[in-house]
Amino acid sequence: MSTLHVISHSPFTDSRLESCLRICGSEDAILLCGDGAYGLHAPALLTRGVKVFVLAEDMLARNLPLPDWADSVDYPGFVQLSIDYDKVNSWL
Amino acid sequence: MAKSLLVISRQAPWSGPSAREALDIVLAGGAFDLPIGLLLLDDGVFQLAPHQDAKAVQQKDLSANLQALGLFGIDDVFACSHSLAARGLVHSTLAQPLDSAAITQLIDRYDQVITL
Repeated sequence: MSTLHVISHSPFTDSRLESCLRICGSEDAILLCGDGAYGLHAPALLTRGVKVFVLAEDMLARNLPLPDWADSVDYPGFVQLSIDYDKVNSWL
Repeated sequence: MAKSLLVISRQAPWSGPSAREALDIVLAGGAFDLPIGLLLLDDGVFQLAPHQDAKAVQQKDLSANLQALGLFGIDDVFACSHSLAARGLVHSTLAQPLDSAAITQLIDRYDQVITL
């Protein structure tokens, strides 16, 4: 079973991403949106080796460079991901 | 067969309505005999701290709701052992402690997940 974890809070002010990485399964992926996109600057994401997506418009708005270990998606891509994974866990 | 639901509660009982609402979802699900579980994660484990005094801040006691879970037939109540240890809390009889790997498996077991 695969889970898409949706993170919308910055990892530099909040522990959501840290906790998510701790309990993330090998089939899981993380989608960064909103201030969660600042997670592209989080070293923990790079070293953890989990699949990472970022919502393109939130990345562009913040002028964040797309690292080679992440993929950007638009809103239709976001919808497709939520279909492709067995379930979505939004870290509200 | 109804879809199973895991509610992950990660807020302290005094930081707004989140902890109470997560518990309400679980109790409502239990009242309708839905397959439902509760995981306390991060500050959510503070809900297990003993001898809290809701009256001191003019609020209602949340621990009574937590103790009612068993009466509603909800046996799947878990707490993240990492979160407990990081906050200096001992294991409570109200929730079964799980390490990170066990939590990954727990989430896999449920059809849907809500994190509050």
